[in-house]
Amino acid sequence: MKLGVFVNQYTKTNSTLDRIKTDNLGIILVQNGVYHAALKENGKDSDILSKAAKVYALSEDVISRGLSPDKLDKKVTVVDYNGLVDVIFNDYEKFIWL
Amino acid sequence: MATIKKLLFLVDKPPYKSENSRLALTHAIASQTVEIHLEDEDNVEPVLAFVGDGVLNCIKGQKALDAYGITSLEAHIKNALLLDLKVIFCKEDLDKFGLTEDNVIMDAEDIGGDMIANILPFADILGEMEAADHILHF
Repeated sequence: MKLGVFVNQYTKTNSTLDRIKTDNLGIILVQNGVYHAALKENGKDSDILSKAAKVYALSEDVISRGLSPDKLDKKVTVVDYNGLVDVIFNDYEKFIWL
Repeated sequence: MATIKKLLFLVDKPPYKSENSRLALTHAIASQTVEIHLEDEDNVEPVLAFVGDGVLNCIKGQKALDAYGITSLEAHIKNALLLDLKVIFCKEDLDKFGLTEDNVIMDAEDIGGDMIANILPFADILGEMEAADHILHF
């Protein structure tokens, strides 16, 4: 299953996301979810970045928060609204919001 | 006898996903206008304290106006400083996120403000809570 997961909160644990197993997982960080790509809390990357998944962050939500797209974790692909539409239509079959 | 009521607006939510921090800032700023309804020499003293994830409101360079078409929390924090509100960021929480005074909104010089924000340990914010007549949590 090609599954895209939208993460819009900056929470330390996400038990549903932790238990999802699928061959092709995409994590799309939007709204406050983009902090996962930018912050190193106590010097540590977010656990989300260690998952076997392609990780995206929405650029509009990044810059709104005073964060720099250039300084996000290297694992994260930054997309704008148009790019996100392409991801939705081309790369995944199903989506959920967590 | 003059009565000064101290109001502490305590923000521990990050910006934009909810209206919490925007409401805290607008309420804190608006609270200064309450003096027109009070007796002479009576007043309120608002203090804004950002703790926990709330310190993420204080990051410089927010472009919410460009991306969302709304005023940024940065603009509101600068307005608070321009109006001489006491603004406090929790040092431990800034440290936790690797933020320093270089990354956060310490002043409103660009709009003519003189007030400087304070980076203080949580123990001092606790002191503000003890000193406040009312604590408003956002």
